[in-house]
Amino acid sequence: MNTLASFFTILIYPAGLTLILFGMFYEWIDRKLVARFQNRAGPRWFQPFADAVKLLAKEQIQPGIVNPYLFFALPIVAIAGASTAALYVPLMGFTPPSSFSGDLIVTLYLLSLPTMCVGLAGWNTSSRFSLIGATRALTQLFAYEAPFMLALLGPALVAGSWQIGEINEYAQTRWLILSQPIGFIVALIGLMGKLELPPFDAPEAETEIVAGALTEYSGRGLMMFKIGKSIELVVGLTLVSAFYLGGLSGIGSFLLKSVALLFLMSVMQTLFTRFRIDQTVGLWWRFGAILVLAQIVVIILWKGYMP
Amino acid sequence: MTANSPQLWEKVIDKVRTWARLNSIWAVHFNSGSCNGCDIEILATLTPRYDVERLGIKLHGSPRHADVLIVTGPVTRQARERLIRTYEQMPEPKFVVSVGSCSISGGVFEGCYNVGGSVDEVIPVDVYIPGCPPRPEAIIDGIIQLLADLQGGKPRPVVRPNVAAELPS
Ligand code: SF4
Repeated sequence: MNTLASFFTILIYPAGLTLILFGMFYEWIDRKLVARFQNRAGPRWFQPFADAVKLLAKEQIQPGIVNPYLFFALPIVAIAGASTAALYVPLMGFTPPSSFSGDLIVTLYLLSLPTMCVGLAGWNTSSRFSLIGATRALTQLFAYEAPFMLALLGPALVAGSWQIGEINEYAQTRWLILSQPIGFIVALIGLMGKLELPPFDAPEAETEIVAGALTEYSGRGLMMFKIGKSIELVVGLTLVSAFYLGGLSGIGSFLLKSVALLFLMSVMQTLFTRFRIDQTVGLWWRFGAILVLAQIVVIILWKGYMP
Repeated sequence: MTANSPQLWEKVIDKVRTWARLNSIWAVHFNSGSCNGCDIEILATLTPRYDVERLGIKLHGSPRHADVLIVTGPVTRQARERLIRTYEQMPEPKFVVSVGSCSISGGVFEGCYNVGGSVDEVIPVDVYIPGCPPRPEAIIDGIIQLLADLQGGKPRPVVRPNVAAELPS
């Protein structure tokens, strides 16, 4: 009976099928919104699904030079990392199916797993474009990871807990975006950097380096990387909206808040042009990290003086 | 029943696969020696005015991601090797659309010292879109015809034999 329940948890909800469908749905919302902002009709609602099925049905070419084990394992690790992270977040407003003290840190590390896999994949396929793409992806990882983590530490500090479920409950009584606006902005932009959305899409800049680290991937591998990214999008949106937008208490508030966040993100995608990789790093370390650090110092002092 | 059910199963899978292929077309663009007129029309096709993303068509940079190879212009002797290589890099199933009069027959470049011939003498072409250059509407219509062919299960084309292609490059 217990195994059955675990199978259900892994395959249907919250990991597995539900997550993949939600990822596709959110990807479609994002693409549609960007298209509407650009005065286009935009893709139809089943577009991500059709893309995924088509890629699944295509031939997978394995370049002669790659290490075959890595080549096939990396997409699987990427998708697994992203879906494991979903176990610890209040997806759809329900209490996380698995939770322990300190799961915030674990989730953040699991969320950066897909990017690491993309970087390794680019290095493994060793075409010149994928090498440059991998270098950029990993550079960007070092740029946004610390500010993003610090931005999510703010709510954790205020709530006095490292457990995502508890922070979510704490946040339901107050909107932390009001007391920690800097943290919210940095977390939102950090999420965009994590997902390599424009303006932070230098790692896969189509106009310069073909398709970045995934240039040599085709068919199934490419599909898995794409789905991993969509899952990361859902999990990231859930995290940020649970922490800053007054918590997630049910399916309604989950949909409302995460779509509102996605709306903000697509507005920013349309507004800004692509940053060079040095501009991205400079932005994060010169502004993002320092502002968030200042805010964390303020929080700690405030907590110290007003217990 | 046991003999029949796998076939039904396969039919359903086949239907889903064809549906997905029809609704998600990723293209890669190759200029094999065109005067750039056709290329500009292809770019115009991708602008918000025509918005091909609503049909699921997207331009991709890498031939590894693409389903459709859009070729413009006559095949020059220098581009011939590259065209074949790009075609070989694409994963199956792959389709070729040749855009512009030049890519169909050599057009105004027919007989030039550096031109090896038309596109279908080098790689198999599924759809020809004539015009000098064809309008974006014509290009979209060509892609739609490719879709119709896919649905009808038309046999795949073969390379046309050609004398010029045998010449040393
Ligand atoms: S068909 Fe016309 S526009 Fe196109 S490559 Fe030939 S000459 Fe140029």
